[in-house]
Amino acid sequence: MAFSTTVSQRKHIKRKAPRGFLKHVFKRQKPHLRLETSGDLLVHLNCLLFVRRLAEESRMNAFESKCGVIKKEHVQAAAKLFFSPTQPELRGMKENC
Amino acid sequence: MAEAMAESYNRDSEPTTRTLLRRVLDTADTRTPRRRRSARVSAQKALLETPSSRRLSSPTKMNVRRRSHRARSIGRLAHVHTSGNLEEQTPRTLLKNILLTAPESSVMMPESVVKPVPTPQVVQSSRRESSRGSLELQLPELEPPTTLALGLLAPGRRKQRQRLSVFQQGMDQGLPLSQEPRGNGSASSLTSSLNLTFATPLQPQSVQRPGLARRPPTRRAVDVGAFLQDLRDTSLALASPGDSLRTPVATLPTDTVLEDTQPFSQPLIGRSPSVYHSLPCLSHTEAEDAERAVSHRIQSSGPRLQNHNPGKPTQLLAGKAKKVDALAVSFPNNSSAVSGEDGVEPLQDGVGEEAEERMEESLSVSKVMATTGTQGSVRMEKSKGHREMTEAAEAKEPEGSSGASPELASSTTEFLQARQPQFLEPAPPPSTAVLSSEPLEPLSTRLPPRARTPGPRARTPGPRPRQDPHKTGLSHYVKLFSFYAKMPMEKAALEMVEKCLFYPNPFGSLDKYFQHLCDDLEVFAAHAGRKTVRPEDLELLMRRQGLVNDQVSLHVLVERHLPLEYRQLLIPCAFSGNSVFPAQ
Repeated sequence: MAFSTTVSQRKHIKRKAPRGFLKHVFKRQKPHLRLETSGDLLVHLNCLLFVRRLAEESRMNAFESKCGVIKKEHVQAAAKLFFSPTQPELRGMKENC
Repeated sequence: MAEAMAESYNRDSEPTTRTLLRRVLDTADTRTPRRRRSARVSAQKALLETPSSRRLSSPTKMNVRRRSHRARSIGRLAHVHTSGNLEEQTPRTLLKNILLTAPESSVMMPESVVKPVPTPQVVQSSRRESSRGSLELQLPELEPPTTLALGLLAPGRRKQRQRLSVFQQGMDQGLPLSQEPRGNGSASSLTSSLNLTFATPLQPQSVQRPGLARRPPTRRAVDVGAFLQDLRDTSLALASPGDSLRTPVATLPTDTVLEDTQPFSQPLIGRSPSVYHSLPCLSHTEAEDAERAVSHRIQSSGPRLQNHNPGKPTQLLAGKAKKVDALAVSFPNNSSAVSGEDGVEPLQDGVGEEAEERMEESLSVSKVMATTGTQGSVRMEKSKGHREMTEAAEAKEPEGSSGASPELASSTTEFLQARQPQFLEPAPPPSTAVLSSEPLEPLSTRLPPRARTPGPRARTPGPRPRQDPHKTGLSHYVKLFSFYAKMPMEKAALEMVEKCLFYPNPFGSLDKYFQHLCDDLEVFAAHAGRKTVRPEDLELLMRRQGLVNDQVSLHVLVERHLPLEYRQLLIPCAFSGNSVFPAQ
C-alpha cells in the first residue's frame, strides 16, 4: 500500500453532534415530516452506533484477511451485512444477540 | 535674570571659583573624555550664546581673584555657581572660545572636587546637566541630543535642574536671594523652602529645611579641599601656562552654564531632589541614613511643592505654594514613612526593590491623602499620579515620572537612586493638573503599543473558507469510523464508508444508511398516525436494529455514547421546583 493512500487511526474525535447537518439531511429526505426537539440527537446516536458497528465489522474483516489496513473490500463486506435486501435490521440484532 | 545674576556675582567670591574651575578643567580634560563630548556638543550647537558670554566675563575677573583666594575658594565653591550667573556680561567671543575649550575641563573637574571615589560621577553629571540646562534655557530644541550624550550622568543633571527650577521660581517671584543659595545647593534649598521652591529642601535631606540647606555646602566644602589638591596635582603634572589660562575660562563657563541652566530648567525640578539624594547616599555612610529619614519628611514635602511649581510655572506658584504647604503639613507622617524607605533604597542599587518600595510609598501617600481629605481634586490627581508612578515603577522606565524621561533613559545606579525621590515627588504633586497630565500621556502612549502587540497574534486566522455543511457532517462520521476502526485504513475505504452512509451504492447491494433510516422513521410515524417523528420512533428503530434490548435501554446507550450536554437533553431528570426536564 502506498503511504499516501492510508489514513492512520484518529486518536481524538469531537463528541459534538452535527445537529444541523442531521436535521438538514432528514428534512431533505422527508420534507413532509417533522423531527421532534431532540430527535436529531437520537438520530446522531443511531448513526454513531451504526458507524461503530460498521467499523468493527470492517476491522474484523481486515483481520480475517490478515491485513493490517482496512481496505475498501472490507468495508463493503461489512456494509453488505447491514444492508442486505432482506431484513437489514435483523442482521444487527442477530449479531448483538 | 541678568540683574539677579549680577547680584549673586558681586556677593559671592567669584574669583575663587574661577581658579578652582581652571584647575578642574586641566584635570578633567585628561581624565574624562565623556564629559568633554557633552560640552562639545553644547558648544558645537552654539545654542548657549548667552551662557558663553557670561562665562567669558566671569573668567577674566575671576582669574585674578581665584589665585589670591584659593584658600577661600574651598569654602566658596558653592558660590562658584552663583558667580557663573554674574558672568553673563562678558563678551561673546570670549565665551565661544571658552565653550570650545570648556567641554574637556568641565568633564573631569567635578569628580576630583566632590568625593574622589563615589561622587565624581555625580559631579560630572551635574556639570553636564548644567551645560544641558544652559542649552535648554537658550535653545530648548537642542536639549534632546545633549541629553542623549549626557544620559550617563543623570544625577548631576537632576541637581542642576533643581537649581534651575529654584532659580526660575525665584526669578519669577522676584526673589534674588534664591540665586545665591543655589550656588551652594544648600542655600538654594533654604530659599526654596521659604519661598515657593520646595524641591530644594528635599535635596539636602537634612532634618529641617535650614539643616538641609547647610548640609550640601558642607559636602561641597570637603569636596573643594580634595578638589584643590587634585587640581594642584593635575596642574603640576599637566599644567602648562597656556593650559592654565584655558582652564579658568573653561571652568568658568561650566559653572555659569550650571547656574544659567538651573533657573531655566523648570521641568527638571522633579529630578533635582533625586540627585541630591543620590549624592548624599554616596558620600554619607549608613549613620547618616537615620538623619536622612528625618530629613525625608521635609524633602517629601519639598518635592510636592516643587511639583506644584513646575506644573504651573511661577505665576501660580504663590497660591499653589500655600496649598502645598498645607498638604505638606498634613502629610508629614506619610512623607516620613516614605522617606525612611527612600533612605534605605538609595543605598540599594536593585531596581526591583526600588520599584516595590515606590509602590508602597505611593500607596501610603494615597492613604494619607484619603485621611486628610483636604482637597478632593488634589486626591484625584494624586491617585492618578500614584497610578502613573506604579506603572512607571513596574515598567522600570525612568521616563514615566517626569516629562524629561528621554534624558533619564540612560540610567545608572545613581540614576535609579534619583528615581526614588522623583517618584515620591510626582505622587504628592498630582495636585497640579499639569504634572498629572504629563505622566499620563506617556503611559497612554506606552500602553497602546502593548495592547496592539497581542492583537495581531489573535487576528492571525483569516476568514475560513466556508465548507459545505453536508460534507462537514459527513466527514464527522467518517472520522468516527476511523476512530472506532482502531487501525489504519485506506482512503478508498473511507470513501466507501461515505457511500454506505449517504450515497447510493455503486454495486447496488448497498444503500444509503440515511435513506433507510428516514424511510423507517416515516413508516413508524405514519403507523402511529403522526407526521412528527418522536423519540419513541427512534427507540423502536433502534430496538429493531438490535441496539436497544431488554438488557440495554435507550438511556443506557445515550449515557454511554453521548456527552453530558446531550444526555441532559434526552434523559428526563428532576430539577428543583418540582420540574422534570425534558418533560415526559
